[in-house]
Amino acid sequence: MGIKVVPRHGKSFKDKLYLPAIIGGMKTTLSHFTKNLKDVDKLKTMQYPEVQPKDLNERYRGVHRLTKWEDETEKCVACYMCATACPADCIFIEAEERFDEHDEKRPKEFKIDLLECVFCGYCVEACPCDAIRMDTGIFSFTAGTREEFVLDKKALMANERSKDLNDG
Amino acid sequence: MSSAIVIAVNIALATFLAVGLTPVFVWWERRVSGFIQDRTGPNRCSIGPFRLGGLIQSFADMLKLVFKEDFTPSHIKYKFFFTIAPVIVFFCSFLTFATIPFADNLVIDGQSFIMSAIPNELGIMWFLAFAGLSIYGIILGGYSSNSKYGLLGSIRAAAQVISYEAAMALAIISMLLSYGSIHLTDIANAQAGTFLGIIPMWGIFIQPIASIIFIICAFAETNRAPFDIAEGESEIVAGYHTEYSAMRFGLFQVGEYAAMSASAAIIVTLVFGGYQIPWMDTPTVQNNMDYIMMALIIILPLKAFFLTRWMKKNNKSKDTNDTSRETETKILSTLFWGISLVVVGLLVIFLTLGLGENGVNIVTAVLQIGTFLVKFFLMAFVFIWIRWTVLRFRYDQLQMLGWKVLLPLALLNIIVTATFIVVQGS
Repeated sequence: MGIKVVPRHGKSFKDKLYLPAIIGGMKTTLSHFTKNLKDVDKLKTMQYPEVQPKDLNERYRGVHRLTKWEDETEKCVACYMCATACPADCIFIEAEERFDEHDEKRPKEFKIDLLECVFCGYCVEACPCDAIRMDTGIFSFTAGTREEFVLDKKALMANERSKDLNDG
Repeated sequence: MSSAIVIAVNIALATFLAVGLTPVFVWWERRVSGFIQDRTGPNRCSIGPFRLGGLIQSFADMLKLVFKEDFTPSHIKYKFFFTIAPVIVFFCSFLTFATIPFADNLVIDGQSFIMSAIPNELGIMWFLAFAGLSIYGIILGGYSSNSKYGLLGSIRAAAQVISYEAAMALAIISMLLSYGSIHLTDIANAQAGTFLGIIPMWGIFIQPIASIIFIICAFAETNRAPFDIAEGESEIVAGYHTEYSAMRFGLFQVGEYAAMSASAAIIVTLVFGGYQIPWMDTPTVQNNMDYIMMALIIILPLKAFFLTRWMKKNNKSKDTNDTSRETETKILSTLFWGISLVVVGLLVIFLTLGLGENGVNIVTAVLQIGTFLVKFFLMAFVFIWIRWTVLRFRYDQLQMLGWKVLLPLALLNIIVTATFIVVQGS
């Protein structure tokens, strides 16, 4: 390992004049300006409501959904693992007895308060039955009142896997 | 009668350029910075189908500022100073514009009019006086804010103004030596014609060092980047207007842009030939009016064509169901074509019927106002362009530049100019 001498800039007369460097910078900014003025499509900005992002991937955590068996009933067995793991305490489950062939327990009501939720994904990690997932790809969730932000079981089961993700 | 009309037109023009253009410049600032940084800037705000490329946003912002609560923090002791400070900034920046000539002296029926809002003989002195005074508003605002950021901002403004005012005045002196007058119309007229055959007699070519010093100092005078250390939002929050809100802040904002307009106008007048059409002085324009009008008849529709084609290409919505963009493009295209065709029609009528002496003078004045406006807007664009290119100077570097570089250079330039003039004997 020898000593590396880094050349110092700014001592020459041209550097001390400042103006050549400033004009160089102005050339760069003007080239960007004219390029974008000639053709607005070259701008990097995504015109959001009209153009939706296409780079959602498997790891993206969107709004939750409850997965279903083939007969459209919930996989959830109301074990409270997700509610226990939740650091934001935003999952509220009410259990009841289940009488079909899948299991003996089901959630009567399953609520997630999206205003409390921190989208950490711990509920998905904790679930032993793969009953809750965050692969809907829904990233913008708006409502007029606080109550509308609390998703109930019906809404969570209506959410589907995002179309942008490949089937897996 | 004609005198009243000319004076009214001048005052309206000065008011419009100094104050009325603020929303336009705010819009430019945001869109130009956006384009320079490869993003769009505000483009959504609309009235009906009209977005005008985002111009509506500035008006919306202004309305918001007007209707916001005019809040005075309780720790402010001198409420009078606190209130008067933005008014001083606004008023002085506005008045700076008053002596800028928009065209050569207009002769109607043998009566000559100076084409500026306040036709006095003070010229450049008026500019120096009011440009210097507007700093008092900033200092007073920061001082009466009674907070450390405001005070730091105003101290910086004071330090900056004393380090640049001197160099600026000296640069102006060497220019005045070569123009031979302090009256701005005379200065602009001195820049008519050419030397060495093709180079226009503009200040930037006959006094390059003084011009560059003056432009740098004018940037410092307006408190804009790279000399906006009085605001310095990364160090002292917002500097002198930290404690201001609502329309008082709005007045500071308008004052800043009015100062930018005034500086752009004075730079154009002193350095870039003012209202002079390049290579054509006033008598040349008056003698060759027919050819100039013919040229305009060809140029105007071409301009409208390129503008509408650009608009059609770029004013599109990504949403295929949205037709409001197409409606806007259609309406604006019709408007632009209408304006250019009406003007062309007028010019054709003038050409066939012939203009009287008064008519030739008035059309010359209009052409010169147009030239002035083109130069003025280009200079305003340069102001914005520089702001989004150059970094803010550090506080000590800024004073170093002012005292150790610009001031000696300006003094040297005076000596060289004076020697040259004495030796040449003119």
